[in-house]
Amino acid sequence: MTRVEIRGLKKSFGPVQALKGINLEVESGALVALLGPTGAGKTTLLKCIAGVEEPDAGDILFDGQSVLGTPPWRRDVAMFFQTYALYPHMSVYDNIAYPLKERKWGREDIDKSVKAVAEKLRIAHLLDRKDPSTLSGGEMQRVALARTLVRNPRVFLLDEPISNLDAKLREEMRTEFKRLHRELKQTIIYATPDFLEAFAVAEKVAVIKDGVILQYDTPINLMRRPKNRFVATFIGSPTINIMRGIVRRQAHGWEFSTTSLKIQLGNIGASSKLSDGSEVELAIRPQDIVLEAPKNSNSFKAKILAAERLGYETIVTLSLGDVELKAVSKGMRPYRYGDEVTINIPGDRVILFDVASGEAMY
Amino acid sequence: MANSRNNRRGRRKIVRTVLIYISAIIAVIFFIFPIYWLVATSLKTRAQAFSTPPLFVWEPTFRNFIDIFLKRQTEIEAITGQELELATGAETFFYNSFVVTFSSIAIATVIGVLAAYSFSRYKPAGTNTLMFFILSTRMLPAIVVAIPIYFFYRSLGLYNTYIGLILLYTMFNLPFAVWMMKSFFDEVPRDIEQAALVDGSNPVKVFYKIALPQVLVGLGATIGFLIINVWNEFLFALLLTERATRTVPVMIAGTRGEVGINWGLIAAIETLYILPALVLIFVLQRFLLRGMTFGTVRGAK
Repeated sequence: MTRVEIRGLKKSFGPVQALKGINLEVESGALVALLGPTGAGKTTLLKCIAGVEEPDAGDILFDGQSVLGTPPWRRDVAMFFQTYALYPHMSVYDNIAYPLKERKWGREDIDKSVKAVAEKLRIAHLLDRKDPSTLSGGEMQRVALARTLVRNPRVFLLDEPISNLDAKLREEMRTEFKRLHRELKQTIIYATPDFLEAFAVAEKVAVIKDGVILQYDTPINLMRRPKNRFVATFIGSPTINIMRGIVRRQAHGWEFSTTSLKIQLGNIGASSKLSDGSEVELAIRPQDIVLEAPKNSNSFKAKILAAERLGYETIVTLSLGDVELKAVSKGMRPYRYGDEVTINIPGDRVILFDVASGEAMY
Repeated sequence: MANSRNNRRGRRKIVRTVLIYISAIIAVIFFIFPIYWLVATSLKTRAQAFSTPPLFVWEPTFRNFIDIFLKRQTEIEAITGQELELATGAETFFYNSFVVTFSSIAIATVIGVLAAYSFSRYKPAGTNTLMFFILSTRMLPAIVVAIPIYFFYRSLGLYNTYIGLILLYTMFNLPFAVWMMKSFFDEVPRDIEQAALVDGSNPVKVFYKIALPQVLVGLGATIGFLIINVWNEFLFALLLTERATRTVPVMIAGTRGEVGINWGLIAAIETLYILPALVLIFVLQRFLLRGMTFGTVRGAK
């Protein structure tokens, strides 16, 4: 149970600024996900917390005390490395037992812990394997995970711990992490490039890009109220629809217009950020577009370009004037190319972004 | 149709296999023959060694091997009273070669491995300059510094001492050791060492428990390389030693028979001298094979 605080953390590798002033607070016992594309700085941030990389500026606090002066071997964190970092000259058993041996545990305690964690990760049959390089990718990943989970540190740092497992095992592992977190009540920081994974395991998610945390929020807020265009497009599948147009003040509220359509936004523009006649980007999630809707002021005739039937839902690509939109509809819909449908874009579900800065305007 | 095509393909495969085997055998003969000839000559009497055409069947004699170690006074020596440098009492020279090689390699390996690891991991300021500086000591032909070193050693009292030769060989070998070992340490993924740090090992433990085992293959290759360097060194051993510290290569060159050169005797010394090298190669071969699969435990990235 350790509260982790990161203040103004900066780290450069030569001319590359990997972290540009990270601020993050992880409550004691929380499971927080770091969500961002490759090269966002997730790994560097985790390595700084583990102590194997030294930040150029800023501070890292465990329970209010700076740990920058504590070397990694005394910092008492466990880290899963994205590259697995198995010790190639040790057997699977010795790999998992290594952190315990280094902590001078008794032989029996080590044996019990190693076997328990191996059982949990279903690699008990691999313990005798001499050469970890002969394991498959998924097996290596589970061995590395076992080495991380075998002890009880102050903080767990997991760098893309399940990215290489097959879909079924990944699903199981997500549940396993939640269960583990509930049992251990440990602070866990979990890095992943997959928003579904982040949403599935974490209570709070920090979206990180180019060494900056763009938004630190709950999954539902990241979905509904993204702070900027990047967060909006990075989260959600299919990707959020974005159109460019002009907003104008009308008697009944705001209206968004492109050359081919007009959308009534109602009173969304209560914020002072909107000004009459300014150019904005309008974003609407594919799940929010209503297909075959009853006619109202935000109804449009759209042409079907493609339909991907995925079983429980159908992803439809639509052409609406000069823009292309994706929409998601429940069930298997027998749409065909060229069909015409009436769609509805609910004005209260749209998000507006400033064209220049990409910041959301609420 | 299909059957005959299969046959043809099968026949072509057999031909190819046979050709591969034949070329392999020719290559092996090419490399083994000098060693065979050396050993064969060492088992011949003087007359047999010189016979034309060369003898391929003869009754082997171990006389040469006995002569190397047993001191015999020659007739010429008995008449003139002057001591000739004979290939006798060879055990002294073998002992010298062992002492010098073992000591200088032990020192060069320890210093070289530690320096290489420091350069590879901690990259102190000016690493590139320092690495170049280390390499630059190898750029002079040895003969250029031979005379200065000779006078230098004379005036320092290092001439004709073990410590003198050992220091010199250590200095000559260090650049090799540092450069080779650095490239092996560079190949060890940093994540593995960082994982060990997080798992609770301090940097010293990380070095000998994690990094060093990863480069054992490279270490074996490096040591083999250094041993060959020192074991075969002739020039400085000739310049800086006298009988008491003389190594085998110099002794071989100085071996004269009573009349002309006794090839049988020389071949016997050389046979004994290459034995440790041969054994070494067979020991290192296992390392070299493992070297091919070295560093394959890596993640998806």
